[in-house]
Amino acid sequence: MHRWGMAVDLDSCTGCGACVTACHAENNIPTVGPDQAARGRAMHWLRVERYWEGEFPDVRLKFRPVMCQHCDAAPCEPVCPTYASHHTEEGLNAQIYNRCIGTRYCANACPYNVRFFDFFNPIWEKPLDVQLNPDVSVREVGVMEKCTFCIQRINAAEIQAKADKQALKDGDVTTACAQACPAKAIVFGDLNDPASEVSRLSRSPRGRKLLDDLGTLPKVTYLERQSEA
Amino acid sequence: MDRRAFIKLTAITGTSATLASCGHPEHQLIRFVPDEELVPGIAEWKPSVCPACAAGCGLNVRVMEADVDVTRNGERGVMKKGVAKKLEGHPLHPISQGGLCPRGQAAIQITYHPDRLTQPVKRRGARGSGDFEPVSWDEAIAALVGRLDALASAGDQKSLAFVTRRRDSRRADLVGLFLARYGAPPPIAFELFDDDVLRRANALSFGRDQLPTFDLGRARYVIAFGADFLGTWNSPVAQSRAYHEMRQGRGGARGKLVQVESRMSQTGANADEWVPIRPGTEGVLALGLAHVILSEKLIPAPSGPAGALIDGWSAGLPAYSPEEVERQTGIKAAMVTRLARELAERRPSLAIIGGAPLAQTNGLFQAVAVNALNALLGSVGQPGGVLFSPQLTMFGDAPPARGGFARFASGILSASTSPVQLLLIDDVNPVFATPRASRVRDALDKVPFVVSFASFVDETSARADLILPDHSFLESWVDARPESGAPITVASVAPPAMKPLHDTRSMPDVLLDVAKRLQKPLNPPLPWATFDAMLAEWFAKLPASAAGDAWGTAQKQAGWWGKVLEPKTAGPPPARTITQSAAQFDGDATQFPFHFLPYPSAAFLDGSLAHLPWLQELPDPVTSAMWSSWVEINPRTAERLQIAQGDLVEVRSAHGSLRAPAVVSPGIAPDVVAMPVGQGHETFTRYASGRGANPVAILAPVAEAATDTLAWAATRVTMSRAGDGRGELILFAGEMREHPHGHER
Repeated sequence: MHRWGMAVDLDSCTGCGACVTACHAENNIPTVGPDQAARGRAMHWLRVERYWEGEFPDVRLKFRPVMCQHCDAAPCEPVCPTYASHHTEEGLNAQIYNRCIGTRYCANACPYNVRFFDFFNPIWEKPLDVQLNPDVSVREVGVMEKCTFCIQRINAAEIQAKADKQALKDGDVTTACAQACPAKAIVFGDLNDPASEVSRLSRSPRGRKLLDDLGTLPKVTYLERQSEA
Repeated sequence: MDRRAFIKLTAITGTSATLASCGHPEHQLIRFVPDEELVPGIAEWKPSVCPACAAGCGLNVRVMEADVDVTRNGERGVMKKGVAKKLEGHPLHPISQGGLCPRGQAAIQITYHPDRLTQPVKRRGARGSGDFEPVSWDEAIAALVGRLDALASAGDQKSLAFVTRRRDSRRADLVGLFLARYGAPPPIAFELFDDDVLRRANALSFGRDQLPTFDLGRARYVIAFGADFLGTWNSPVAQSRAYHEMRQGRGGARGKLVQVESRMSQTGANADEWVPIRPGTEGVLALGLAHVILSEKLIPAPSGPAGALIDGWSAGLPAYSPEEVERQTGIKAAMVTRLARELAERRPSLAIIGGAPLAQTNGLFQAVAVNALNALLGSVGQPGGVLFSPQLTMFGDAPPARGGFARFASGILSASTSPVQLLLIDDVNPVFATPRASRVRDALDKVPFVVSFASFVDETSARADLILPDHSFLESWVDARPESGAPITVASVAPPAMKPLHDTRSMPDVLLDVAKRLQKPLNPPLPWATFDAMLAEWFAKLPASAAGDAWGTAQKQAGWWGKVLEPKTAGPPPARTITQSAAQFDGDATQFPFHFLPYPSAAFLDGSLAHLPWLQELPDPVTSAMWSSWVEINPRTAERLQIAQGDLVEVRSAHGSLRAPAVVSPGIAPDVVAMPVGQGHETFTRYASGRGANPVAILAPVAEAATDTLAWAATRVTMSRAGDGRGELILFAGEMREHPHGHER
């Protein structure tokens, strides 16, 4: 049994946003346009947060890519009346769009602000729709959507491994954000495999969980940025 | 009759029966027979080359079967086609190394853009009106051939001009060869964010007319002057990969990054130390660092040409004491001394200069100063230092593009009749990306016939008489010879990843076709029937590798790379020493108290990617703004001028004014206002037209003194509050859930 997790090394992350665009391309995330974006309805399953510290000239800016933390004790799951938001055997916080009735309780409960509601049917002006990934369902109005750890890639790799009668190796599955990252800051893999890169990084003394004190038990580990001076 | 023809026939008879019975032809679903065979749901991976910047990253394209609307012989229908679904960095390619930047990820939307030109058009309305009518390819090519024939029969071949980007490639070679053999002057390179100043400096200091590659992966200490090398400058993906190595890739030996600039760039945000500096004095700081190293004898002074260029070098740069440097740059003398000692102690160390410091009137001095510092640090050509990727110049057969676009445009303006009778434009938008004061628009309108190869109607192609739309990069043979990014030689190349969606043609193939139809043939004629034959012949000359012959291997892995021995060069020609010149700024300091700093936006670079919706909605790394233009202002300045976040601000130079909302940012000096370039398009598809303001428009048309490239960081402005923002500033951070209307004050 796998237990999928992620490590983000903030000392390598440059804040470029390649992960954000890669996530849009992989997961059929629509753009909402300027008017809806101004109402806070832009959908970025993955965002790069920025934290300013200090005042000019002694000023510092830190980046942190934030996606669904795939908590082991996820606040979004027990509040869902239809079990649309649920925990898979492999530890993912999955969202079943067909079950979702749009109460948005899960988004209220999530402390990480990583759930996005479809206020409208998505629009891809033709032929932009030709780019859509056939492995990922397009969400319609009234549904909550979120980072899936690219579950379509996980499933495809598991099916392939089964067909080949081989076990999945570390690196056989990666998410779109991790694959695109020019600075190799994001690493995805199996936390049940102690030898995997993500397990090794998650044990780092620089490792922190986001809002750890909430007890949500996230499966994303942030390796804090180091600094001289 | 084979199977394919049989199915075709039955499909046609079947659909024509439906056709007759249907009242709404636009609702009919005609299924054409696919012309390639893919297994539904199974992805194939094909190589390509990213077109978004000059880095030349190798791509891996995910190709799958999909239903696509097509028009065949005037009939609309649906067809199963192999189409690109996602772009990844090619894992084998030495520049991208499997990674890709946000612009590369979004480049796939160029191919599927709803406002792409789907066929050739000719102008019907006034120039700039955007009123075009469709023409056939035969008619379009005949029109271009007719113009070329007319010039040739009048013996006026010199009045043909071709403006394009400065990108080294076989594609560029073809343009150069076409022009030379027709009898026209070489192509003119146009780039807003041109690095010609740095190339010239490297030629003087090191004998390399080329952009450098940085071995960050082995460097222990890096000081960067204005260069946004992790975001937008030079080869960002390769540099980000190397940056990862420098920070966390080698177990405990973490390198330090110091960034010197007056507005915090994305790269500056990642620095261990961010050092704001007075604009235009970066070279003084570089020589101040050298002064400390020389006077404290931390490193023995090398007697290379890079140092000898600098006035006072052999005497230990007496004019650059830390106190004098503090007076000029605003950086404390103690810090200058400390940074110099760190640079000397923590070798391999290297210095990088790029961006705004080069775009001053004294850009060449600044670059030569940083080169001398690198020479002193012993970093040139050494592990952990500054390298120059070996180039394939020995296979060159075409005159390279030359700079001097400003001179070219003013030459047209000042002449009574335009010296250019026929202008061909490929992949550039100079009407958008030049100061309004340089009147490129008027220059273009004086040229009797303008032909564009653009895929979109933008400010420049809207003024063309004829547009011959190019294939997208995914639909055509693509190549690039990156001048930097890898320590080895790279020539990226790839076949088409998919069949064309529209009735477009690849620009190189159009040129070859035109050449064949000329009344007076090119002298000597171009020997290739198609562009891929030209590529094949050139790549076959390159050394074969263990994986197979050069051309065969290159097509599979998005390029050829390896070690080549360059012909020995004599080193830099002896040059006169360069004395310090202070940066000159346009606009009186009392009337225009602020330095105006336009910078390449993380999403759109010079504005050429503003039409892609993913990039419009990508939050900016430093401000989180989307779909917007903005002006970055220091909090103290904002308070003094009573400007609050989101307020509309008027920025005025001696050459014009613009309005944009304010972002109050702690990462900018109080006497500097910064603005990203990219928005403010008058016409550039539904996503970018009429959105935001263009900072380039109000720049002074001043040039870097030695190279005649636009000194885009040399304008002074004044600024005032112009009213409440009306929601123009759209931020993603901080206001996304809790205060959905927080921007509306």
